[in-house]
Amino acid sequence: MSEKKQQVSRRQFLNYTLTGVGGFMAAGMLTPMIRMAVDPVLQPKKSGDLVAVVEVDKLTTEPQRFDWEIDQVDAWYESKVTKTAWVFIQEDDSILALSPICTHLGCTVSWEGNEEYPNQYYCPCHGGRYYKNGVNVPGLPPPAPLAVYDQDVKDGTLYLGKAISRKGA
Amino acid sequence: MQWSKKDMEQYIGAKEYVDTVLIPLMPVVLAGNEELVKQAFQGELLNRFSQEVEVQFKGRIYLSPIYTYLASANKISEAERLKTWVDGIKENEPKHIFFFTFDPQWKKHEKNLDGTIIWIPAIQTGDIHSQETKDLLKQQTSQLTELILSYW
Ligand code: FES
Repeated sequence: MSEKKQQVSRRQFLNYTLTGVGGFMAAGMLTPMIRMAVDPVLQPKKSGDLVAVVEVDKLTTEPQRFDWEIDQVDAWYESKVTKTAWVFIQEDDSILALSPICTHLGCTVSWEGNEEYPNQYYCPCHGGRYYKNGVNVPGLPPPAPLAVYDQDVKDGTLYLGKAISRKGA
Repeated sequence: MQWSKKDMEQYIGAKEYVDTVLIPLMPVVLAGNEELVKQAFQGELLNRFSQEVEVQFKGRIYLSPIYTYLASANKISEAERLKTWVDGIKENEPKHIFFFTFDPQWKKHEKNLDGTIIWIPAIQTGDIHSQETKDLLKQQTSQLTELILSYW
């Protein structure tokens, strides 16, 4: 909610600034400068924000797939992006939320995506596989474990944020 | 992967892994109110659709920029033009070339194209952001990914 408000005010702010400066050319030159100058203040920290994904009591020890949408802002525009996680409860009762993005070249992996490899995530592109905890099976294309989402549990709901790479881990 | 600097930089180092090319074929109309709306909607769908498949198979598929053509154009000469794209793409030695389209007329030109036409029955009209359209897209995407998997 508060993000929405900030968005509007940021847009307004830019509008005012641009109008004030007057002239499209000048605006074109100035915008990047203004951006650099004010961005850290005005830009809501989306990447670090956690989003409610699922109630904890829906989770099991079997990885399940959950999808949610976020507003992604890059340098040019804002767009809705669907995020996906494989989430399950580990033996020590902690929750693990894994990114489905194969660390080889970025295809989407599925839990038990291939009948021949039960209990593993499977990448359909070049046969990459990962154990339940996301660690890559050695000797296959993926060079690193699946990334792990930043998480928080509040009032029985799991919130997920940014996927943190485990390359080199 | 798709037509972006970042992806192309990755692509040139990983061509042996990216053995499949997807070319969306999008008809455009330039006039006629109803047709404008309808074709634009289907264009959005086609784009969304191709993007979804690309996300699933990012590491093995190169999603080409959309091939656009006039809906009214003669398909024989259009097929010839498309063939020049295919010939260019073949320099990268892909194993599979797929064309995605809602336009049923392409099917009969398939043999001249050195690729597989995947014709998707179009949703006539609707709202790209509605839940209904999203569900349909999801279904069609999973059928499509299945189909592509069967070629691999
Ligand atoms: S992208 Fe997953 S194994 Fe290559």
